[in-house]
Amino acid sequence: MKNRLKVLRAERDWSQQDLADRLGVSRQSVNAIETGKYDPSLPLAFTIAETFAMAIEEIFERG
Amino acid sequence: MTQGNERKPAGRSPFFYAGLMLAAYGVVAALAITDSVSQTALFVLMLLPFGLVFMIINAANRRADAGLETCIAKGDAQRRYVRRVAIFSALYLVALAVLTYLSKNYELSEVLRFSLALLPGLAVLGIFWAIGRLIVEEQDEFMRMLIVRQSLIATGLALGAASVWGFLESAEVAPHLDAYWWAIVWFFGLGIGAIANRIQYGAWGAV
Repeated sequence: MKNRLKVLRAERDWSQQDLADRLGVSRQSVNAIETGKYDPSLPLAFTIAETFAMAIEEIFERG
Repeated sequence: MTQGNERKPAGRSPFFYAGLMLAAYGVVAALAITDSVSQTALFVLMLLPFGLVFMIINAANRRADAGLETCIAKGDAQRRYVRRVAIFSALYLVALAVLTYLSKNYELSEVLRFSLALLPGLAVLGIFWAIGRLIVEEQDEFMRMLIVRQSLIATGLALGAASVWGFLESAEVAPHLDAYWWAIVWFFGLGIGAIANRIQYGAWGAV
């Protein structure tokens, strides 16, 4: 699954650790999701969407 | 999960201590093969490098506290896991030492021998329990997936090795191995699982 996490993070000037802290997950998790190595569960995807104040489909798309 | 502002020095890598432990066990194995030392001395020598487990845990924790990449991510579940493993490892060492000392120096009744022989196994069971609790308590779904993956790889390796060895032993082409060695192979498998995690997901996991 493709995602725009890296771009969205850069727009807000957040590091991976900053985003990880906001999501309550490890930095490794953010890195794995961002690089497309791991697809988050639906609850985590909702949390990510809420953190960026966007809809899930604006962040993730079928790759 | 929040990173504290104060960061402690990271110190030596846990892999440094793991390498030291491996080297130490290599020396012990060489001594055992060449019959250079007595059985009692060999037993003591086998116990000593195990103390490096605590150095490895401490080094991993220091790196986690310093915000560096580590196989043990920061989190309450991991901290509880490290504490539980440290406690059960210590219990294992004590149980093993007591069992060996009493067995060698006293004529024990069967009931007492049974009870004493049960203790190291129960301590190892405690380590398995700690890993199970880590899977249950870990709140980070990615880290949890890595731990489960490590455990599955370890299980496949240990059961596979036990099956193959068992048939070789039945065919009398391999020497007898006490069953507790399969638990050791399982723990070794966790290391293989961590490497597999690193290759596929870029992170080691948490066990």
